[in-house]
Amino acid sequence: MLNSKRKIIVFCVLVAAGAVALTYGIFLHAANISSAQGTDSPALVRSEPALIREVTVGGLERDASGQVKKTYTDKAPQACPT
Amino acid sequence: MVAMAITARLVRWRMWIQSAFLLVWLDPLGLRLHSMCSPVFHCYACPLATFACPVGVLASFTALHIFPFIAIGLLVLAAAVFGSLICGWACPFGFLQDLLGKIPTPKFDLPSWAGHLRYAVLIGAVFLVPYFLGKDHPLFICRFCPAGGLEAAAPSMVSQALAGQQIVWPNALKLTILVLFLVAVFFVKRPWCRILCPLGAIFSLFNRVSVFFLRLNPDKCTHCERCHKLCEFGIKPEKSPNDLRCVRCIECTRCGPGALTLGSIFERH
Repeated sequence: MLNSKRKIIVFCVLVAAGAVALTYGIFLHAANISSAQGTDSPALVRSEPALIREVTVGGLERDASGQVKKTYTDKAPQACPT
Repeated sequence: MVAMAITARLVRWRMWIQSAFLLVWLDPLGLRLHSMCSPVFHCYACPLATFACPVGVLASFTALHIFPFIAIGLLVLAAAVFGSLICGWACPFGFLQDLLGKIPTPKFDLPSWAGHLRYAVLIGAVFLVPYFLGKDHPLFICRFCPAGGLEAAAPSMVSQALAGQQIVWPNALKLTILVLFLVAVFFVKRPWCRILCPLGAIFSLFNRVSVFFLRLNPDKCTHCERCHKLCEFGIKPEKSPNDLRCVRCIECTRCGPGALTLGSIFERH
């Protein structure tokens, strides 16, 4: 069993780790995605909040080559198809 | 004594607190803040969803082979502070099951091992299947999630029917799980939370280290076992107050001797 002091230490470590991950995700993390037209078009850099918005409408997929690309060309779908 | 009074008052307000949180998740202002996750189980395909579902984001990012820093960071933060209190007090899908569970029908208990299936769903349907088989596999969590079926597919089907369009039905597995869930919810308390919820599985892992926990005062406990009867989840709170299956409804704190209270790791004895 964890005593009170250890619980506080574990809590502080978890809060610090969570805050660092959240801050990094919001402000620094980004990924390259290519457009739906094909691999010839230039890759777009999208921040993680933008990626989350895309996945909520099923707007991203991973193709056979391992590239993340958009599933639509002009207007984003209204809701996730699953 | 103060903790006892606060806990007793909180229990009476639980349904109102759940209702208040429901308003937050149901996007009454039409903000659609889908760039950010909430720490609760509420499908982002629902027309009334303020934030993105963290489980859907975890699974989708895993399928894309991108590390979900925001979802992981938010869940670790929320779980470290509140643990399973989120399930019992803030989750809209849990609240829905609480409301439907109030309908007076015979209620059956589940074997304690049933709670472990949640970890299998978390590891399998949220991480392994999306990573290795992609999001089109039928065992990808969103493909069979009853929250998605109820909150997103059903309203979508109704709107298609009203608009005179062809109705797009969910896949057979999702439909089966949704029907099973809708039957089970009348006979088992919170069936989804107790058997399959991957988010509850994550929060339960923090039950022993989160700020708020269930404290048993052994000097006050008379072993009357009233807490066993008060617990709707088949837990014996006086033996295992921080059980992994506990959703922190804190109903057990209404036991006569007041041996169980909601404690905090920062309290001094």
